[in-house]
Amino acid sequence: MITRFRAEITTAAATALFGLGIVRGALEFGIGWDSSGPQPGAFPFYTGMLVTLASLATVGLTIVRRVAGSAQLQEHFLDGERARRVASFFLPLFAFVVLSMTLGMYAATILYLVFAMRFQGHYGWLPTLATALGAAAFFYLALEKFFQIGLLKGPIEPLLGL
Amino acid sequence: MTTLKLTTALACAFALTGVGAAQAWQPTKPVEFVVTSGAGGGTDNFARMIQSIITKNKLIEQPIVVVNKGGGSGAEGYIHGKAGKGDPHRVIFGTNNAYLLPYVAKLGYKLSDLTPVSALALDEFLLWVNGKAEYADARAYIEAVKAKPLGFKMAGSQSKDTDQTLTSMIQDVTGAKFIYVPFQGGSAAATQLAGGHVDSNVNNPNENIGQWKAGQVKPLCVFSPVRLAKGEPVFEGKGWGDIPTCKEAGLPIETFQMPRTVWLPADVPTDSVKFYEGVLEKVSETPEWKEFITRTAQTGRFMKGKELTDFVAKDEAANKKVFEAEGWVAK
Amino acid sequence: MDNIANLMHGFSVALTTHHILLMMAGVLLGILVGVLPGLGAPNGVSLLLPLTFSMDPVSAIILLTSLYWGALFGGSTTSILFNIPGEPSSVATTFDGHPMAKQGRATEALSFAFLSAGFGAMAGVVLITLLSGWVANFALKFSSPEYFAVYFMTFASFIGLGGASPLKAVVSMGIGFTLASIGMDSVSGNIRLTYDFDVLLAGVSFLIAVIGLFGIGELLLTMEEGLKFDGVHAKVRIRDVLTTAAKLPRYWLALLRSSAIGIWMGITPGGPTAASFMSYAMAKRSSRNPDKFGKGEPEGVIAPETADHAAGSAAMLPMLALGIPGSATAAVMMGGLMIWGLNPGPTLFTDRPDFVWGLIASMYLGNVVAVVVVLATVPLFASILRIPFSIVGPVIVVICFIGAYTVGSKPFDIWLALAFGVIGYVFKKLDYPIAPLVLAMVIGDKAEDAFRQSMIFSQGSLKIFWSNPLVSTLMAIGLALLLFPLIGVARRGVRRLATARDQ
Repeated sequence: MITRFRAEITTAAATALFGLGIVRGALEFGIGWDSSGPQPGAFPFYTGMLVTLASLATVGLTIVRRVAGSAQLQEHFLDGERARRVASFFLPLFAFVVLSMTLGMYAATILYLVFAMRFQGHYGWLPTLATALGAAAFFYLALEKFFQIGLLKGPIEPLLGL
Repeated sequence: MTTLKLTTALACAFALTGVGAAQAWQPTKPVEFVVTSGAGGGTDNFARMIQSIITKNKLIEQPIVVVNKGGGSGAEGYIHGKAGKGDPHRVIFGTNNAYLLPYVAKLGYKLSDLTPVSALALDEFLLWVNGKAEYADARAYIEAVKAKPLGFKMAGSQSKDTDQTLTSMIQDVTGAKFIYVPFQGGSAAATQLAGGHVDSNVNNPNENIGQWKAGQVKPLCVFSPVRLAKGEPVFEGKGWGDIPTCKEAGLPIETFQMPRTVWLPADVPTDSVKFYEGVLEKVSETPEWKEFITRTAQTGRFMKGKELTDFVAKDEAANKKVFEAEGWVAK
Repeated sequence: MDNIANLMHGFSVALTTHHILLMMAGVLLGILVGVLPGLGAPNGVSLLLPLTFSMDPVSAIILLTSLYWGALFGGSTTSILFNIPGEPSSVATTFDGHPMAKQGRATEALSFAFLSAGFGAMAGVVLITLLSGWVANFALKFSSPEYFAVYFMTFASFIGLGGASPLKAVVSMGIGFTLASIGMDSVSGNIRLTYDFDVLLAGVSFLIAVIGLFGIGELLLTMEEGLKFDGVHAKVRIRDVLTTAAKLPRYWLALLRSSAIGIWMGITPGGPTAASFMSYAMAKRSSRNPDKFGKGEPEGVIAPETADHAAGSAAMLPMLALGIPGSATAAVMMGGLMIWGLNPGPTLFTDRPDFVWGLIASMYLGNVVAVVVVLATVPLFASILRIPFSIVGPVIVVICFIGAYTVGSKPFDIWLALAFGVIGYVFKKLDYPIAPLVLAMVIGDKAEDAFRQSMIFSQGSLKIFWSNPLVSTLMAIGLALLLFPLIGVARRGVRRLATARDQ
């Protein structure tokens, strides 16, 4: 079970690492101050540093509050029921992204909407298919035909001659 | 590496055998125009103008889709072109940055990742000062700058790009020394000069024409071997053709021009290159194109094949010299 | 009074059936691109640009500006209904607009947003009409140090707001700054912080961050709460639009203050996004009950919307008179002007009065048309909330990711939006404020560029920020905004000490 304490520490550690990564990247470009002002790396270097320091301070503060016995930090960040709800939304969403990359965004849209409505929302097949195909058709007409913006396409569209 | 070469060789072989069999190449799906600048930039206008002429005159049967990929001063667009290796439906629009960017920044593409198609115009550069400045000609201005090193500010668009290269060339031939201030674009450089915050810029004609009309800035000379086309008078009876060349005005830089170029990815069929060359040549002969060239005071010059590669080689060498002298070459 | 006569002439150019129809078409298309996050006004305008090549310039610019107004309105709609800002400048609208929608007050929030936006736009256009010459000259006084001072003012007004843990606010703002500095550094010509990934060359788009942090992050939170979305109970009646309109005059002070901020930021290079943030901050600071902000306070919708549209329309002036694009959309329109054969600049007003005054007149008409059209769509949009969330949720997911892809046609952006979604979810649960991150991403790199250009100007001396009356005044206002809250805190502390001693 994840407590708020753990979530706070993990997040702060992640932002500290992000800050350090930026600091490392910035060092490549010089972080000093020459006749034309700060060098290209200076600005990212100091903001990266600031992120790291503030994150470390958050870690410190959180530990102090924990030792002092803060009730808020003992709370669940996510309990079983909530975690299940988030997962049941997030996993299909993640699958949608993966499908977009492999089958193209139109196929992914249809599959995702069918799954979400038919198997999660328990709607009948008719409203489900109407919504899914309708949405895909709307995007196709609005984007590809009217605005002439191509979305990611997969192996299926060429077969349909689109 | 060897496998890559092998595939390249194979692809070429296929392309060559294809030549005899197929008739003249035609696009078989929508053509993507990749613009190596943000929306509204010079390259964007260039590509969209060509798109509108092609559509209007029905020079390409398939629809044309314009995509802006201006990240990294245009590098994003060329990398997108590289990714389309062998795909003749991806046409890339740019300037001389196609072959100059890989010098000044560590980038994921080389010139050999692109196939040159043609160039349609040369963008001109002029030396401009504030409209109230006392300098009558380029020589007087340069003398003033020489007398006070680092006392004058030159505004330009971007860093290590055409404007700064030209500034560096001016410094090299005259011994003057400017403070170069990079802004986000030519229009910012124009208003900074009009507002008197900087002393000069080397903008293209259409970047400064609005300010010139109002007398807020004035041109001293044009970095071109011959004077610009006459055109209508712009301010106080003077027009583009009345501006002396820099060589005439005592600033010995023969020529500095930026080609507006069109590219295809590497390893495309030779016939497709011929096809686009043909289309673009037709574009360059339309009245709409000629009007666009006049309006933006560019010099219309269609180049393809050997003429283009020669131009590129010469331009590349001249710029490379400056990059090396300034220490801009990325390791 | 020349300007008034010119304007009347402008109306005679703009007021034709053909043009009114173009306005309506433009506004409707604009709402469509504004509602799709990622597509947005700049994209919409550049997509329509080829269509305008064969039109006469006045009709063309009327179509494009109407699309722009429509997109601004569409962006606010999704901010309020789904917490997804369709346009960068409508981020601040989400702070109170979305809580209102969640409480079942979507109609009210939308009506307030549209009406105050219309008011702001009118204020901007009136200014252009009356003061065009003076303003154009004033804007010429701005150089890099003044630009930096304007950005500094915006930050200062926002930092003083307080709220969440200061450490977390610093982390959030720092992340925003660093994300903004990825990609090409125009001052040095270096490509920074891409770690040799080509996909990062163009930087991290602000729109992707907003789609993820706000849109997807909010959906995850809503799901965790168990689909509690009170919009279902909202009754949608056209009468509600009218009663809201009747309430608007009560907020006259907010309207005037926000218009002033918006106009100021539109003329100086701050732009609509900075304007809306600053206006929100000033509204909260000067409010008698600042605690209500962020929980569905109408003034929190009115302030950013008024300033956003005032800035959007006032920014047309520097574009026409100086050739400085005040926003991304203005940059595209400027490209259009050049293709139509018009050169923006001080003489455009005298060379092509038909065009300029036709455009200004069309801004009056276009905004009236836009407000009427969008108000008519309020019941339609508000009733979207009545559709069960188990349908709307997944559809929003699809819209978010398709929107993310259309920003730059890059598959990488889809992953990035997903990552920002997770970050947004975690940050909100742990009380990290997201607004500082967004603000830093929007104006962080501009502020950095302006600062470094100033340093090149002065060859490394900070004195340049106090070198003339204009920049000194701006910096002083910025410092005051930064220090005021601290003084307030100190004073309260002293008072508390004093009362403690009395007892």
